[in-house]
Order: sequence, then structure tokens, then C-alpha cells
Amino acid sequence: MNSSTTTHWIDRNAAKLGTPSLLLALLLTAVWAVSVVTAPVDSAQGLIQKTLYVHVPCAFAAYMGFVITGLCGIMYLWKEETAYDRLAYAAAEVGILFCSLVLITGPIWARGTWGKWWSWDARLAVTVLLWFLYLAYLLLRSFSEGSPRTARFAAIYGVVGVPVIILNYFAIDLAGGRAMHPDNLEQGSLGAGMGMPFLLGVLAILAIFFHLLFTRTEVETLRAEELRTHLLSDSH
Amino acid sequence: MNGYRVLVAVLHKEMLTEWRSRDRVIAMLIFSLLVVVIYHFALPELPSSEVPSTVSGLLWSAYLFAAILGLNRSFSAELENHALTGLAMAPLDRGWIFLGKALANFILLIFIQALTATAFALGFDLDLRSLFLPLAGIFALGAVGITSVGTLFAAIAVRTRNQELLLPLLLLPLLMPILIAATTATRALLLGEPVPGTPVRMLVMADTIFLVLSFICFEYVLDD
Repeated sequence: MNSSTTTHWIDRNAAKLGTPSLLLALLLTAVWAVSVVTAPVDSAQGLIQKTLYVHVPCAFAAYMGFVITGLCGIMYLWKEETAYDRLAYAAAEVGILFCSLVLITGPIWARGTWGKWWSWDARLAVTVLLWFLYLAYLLLRSFSEGSPRTARFAAIYGVVGVPVIILNYFAIDLAGGRAMHPDNLEQGSLGAGMGMPFLLGVLAILAIFFHLLFTRTEVETLRAEELRTHLLSDSH
Repeated sequence: MNGYRVLVAVLHKEMLTEWRSRDRVIAMLIFSLLVVVIYHFALPELPSSEVPSTVSGLLWSAYLFAAILGLNRSFSAELENHALTGLAMAPLDRGWIFLGKALANFILLIFIQALTATAFALGFDLDLRSLFLPLAGIFALGAVGITSVGTLFAAIAVRTRNQELLLPLLLLPLLMPILIAATTATRALLLGEPVPGTPVRMLVMADTIFLVLSFICFEYVLDD
């Protein structure tokens, strides 16, 4: 097992990229905000349609967080390097944050367009299941004792969780989950002038995602270093 | 010791201890029968045409909760006298220990499923005799998924604080694809339709993924 907590490439890069990713996130968010304000108002849905520019990019960030958690789980079980566990933990927390934003912005948009806060649409159901799945991941971490054991158990849950995301999609379609979500994105038919704010939204949210991911990983690295220093001073 | 012999030894030990105590099977059975009674009082009087489509969901939710109740105790006995450490130190492939445990849980669950389905048939006035074989197939496919991933996470939960609280929270989101596919297939059968291909394929796919991942991951569960 890698006993050092400072030399791993994940720790080095997380510490190095925190500030540049913050600057990039701030810049992109400013440009994004301007483009959302100036974007044309949807003729059918009105202003509420602008939720799209937050809602969908947040969903991309949530999925990215959960996939990183799964991949880092595999890497941790394979290499047994604690840096992968720290990154997996950070990605799950940041993923949950963005998943919560999806679940908050979704009903706001739904109320404005579908006339009700919630519908058991396939994508909504999958997202809420994902949220529960990764809340359980965080709970498993907090209920486990001992660092390598917690990391191993969490890695296993993260690895099993990834195919479940895909299986849930098929399963809910199978159960006749009503598809109320629009298919615009798949068909590439966003209205004129809406593509750019959407693209900027994706880039800005991803920049915020990576900034939070790097910062959260750095916090975990510092915590691990402090624990190690504490244990070393106790043993002397 | 080859894998097959490990599997048989673990299965034999599990069935023998269950036969001697009968703790888990009795608790699971009483629980699932209680669920039938609770559903009877909780639901309004259903018109007979709506019974088949409603009962499939009730049946599978009863199975799921009863399975979690039993899985919670699956590894508890191994904590006494450090039996779990003994298993971890045994010079053999741990995947086969997992398969022995999972097979024992599978047999218990199938037994509970058969008795609960009989209780549902009597309680909700359903004739299941003509559907015995296809229903048994769907029950078995669902049980494989529940007990494979269930056994893996029971082994994890037993080594955490608050295992009884944690296991359902870990398992329920993971088992949702199994629940949806099994409920869909059972509903079609109860409505007199032929065995539906898509949910069965979905169950086979989920079972395969869960079995393979659990077999591989169990290797890492018993380490200290």
C-alpha cells in the first residue's frame, strides 16, 4: 500500500489545479450568465425554459462524479493507493451535490411546463435512485471504521453502483416510465440562439465541478497527512 | 481444496446451522406472511380485474423486505469466536465461500417465496397452479439477483456500525432493476400473458453482472 500521502499524482495535481480551475470557473460562469440573460425566450414555455441551462449541465456533472467514483473504486481495489479512495470520496460528494441541484431545478421547471412538481418519468426516477445510491455510499463510509476497510467497502459499492445506473435506465423504460422529458438534445434541435448558452453552461458547470473536486480531494489529502503526522508523533 | 468442495462445505454448514436453529427462516416467513395481512388492511377492496396487476408488486416488495431481514443475519454468526477471521485466513479462493453463502441464502429465499406466494394466492383469491413453472422461473431469477449482491453487502454491513440500518439502505437502490424487471414479468404472467422476453433478459443480465461482480469483490471484503 502507498503509505505516502503527498507524492501521488492525484494529490499533486489536485493541489496544483485548485486555483486555476476556480479562475476558469468564475470566468466561464460570468460569460454563461450573460449569454443566458441574452438568450431568446422560448415561445412556448417562456422564461422557465432557461432552467435548461442549469438543469442539464448539472445532470452531466452528477453522472461524471458517479463514474469517477466507480473508476477510482476499481483503481483502488487494483492498486491499493489511498489517493484513488480520496478522489472517489470527493467525486461522490460533489456528484451528490450536483444530483441534488438536478432534483431541485427539475421540479421547478416541471411545475412551469408540465403543471406539476413531480412525474415518474424514466429520467426523473433514475436520477432520484442515483441520489439514494450515492447517499448510501456516503452513509457506508461514515458507518465503517478503519481507513483501509472504509476505502475497500466504499470502492466495492462504487464499482457495483456503475452498472446499476445503466440497468436502472433500461428497467424503468421497461416498467413504462412515462417519457415526459423532451428529446431536443438527442435530436440536436435546440432553438436558434439557445445552443451557445447551453454549451457555455456545460463548460461552466464542469469547471465548477472540477474546482470542487480538486478542492475536496485536497482537503482529504491534508486530513490524511495530519492523521499520519499525529500517529507518527504518538509513536515517538 | 478445490472451489467446488469449498462451496459444498460452506453450503452444508449454512444449511445445517439454519436447520438446527431455524431462526432466520422462521423470522423471514412470519414477516412475509405479516406483510400479506398488512397489505390486506392497507389496500382498498380491489376489483378482481385489478388484483393480478397489484399483487405482483406487493409480492416482490414482501420478498425484498423478507430477504433483507434474513441477509442481515447471514454473517452475524460468523462474528462469534472470530469465525469470520478463520474464513478470511483459510487458504482458499474466497469467491467460493461467497458462492456457498449466496446459494444458502438463495435456497432460503426460494422457500420463503413459495410459501408467501401460496399465502398471497389464498389471501387475494388467485389460482397460481397453472402458472407454477413460469412463476418459479421468475422467482428464481429474481432471487439470484437479490441473494448475490445481498450476500456481498451483508458481509460488508456486518463489519460496520449499525449493520441493521445500513444493509437496507445499501441494497434497496441497487436492487431496483431486479425489482422492476421481476414485477413486470410476474404481472404479465398473472394477467395471463405469455412469459415476457424483455424483463426476463433484463433479469438474466442483472443476475450475471451482480454474480460476477460479487464473486470478484468478495475477495476484498474479508481482509482486515
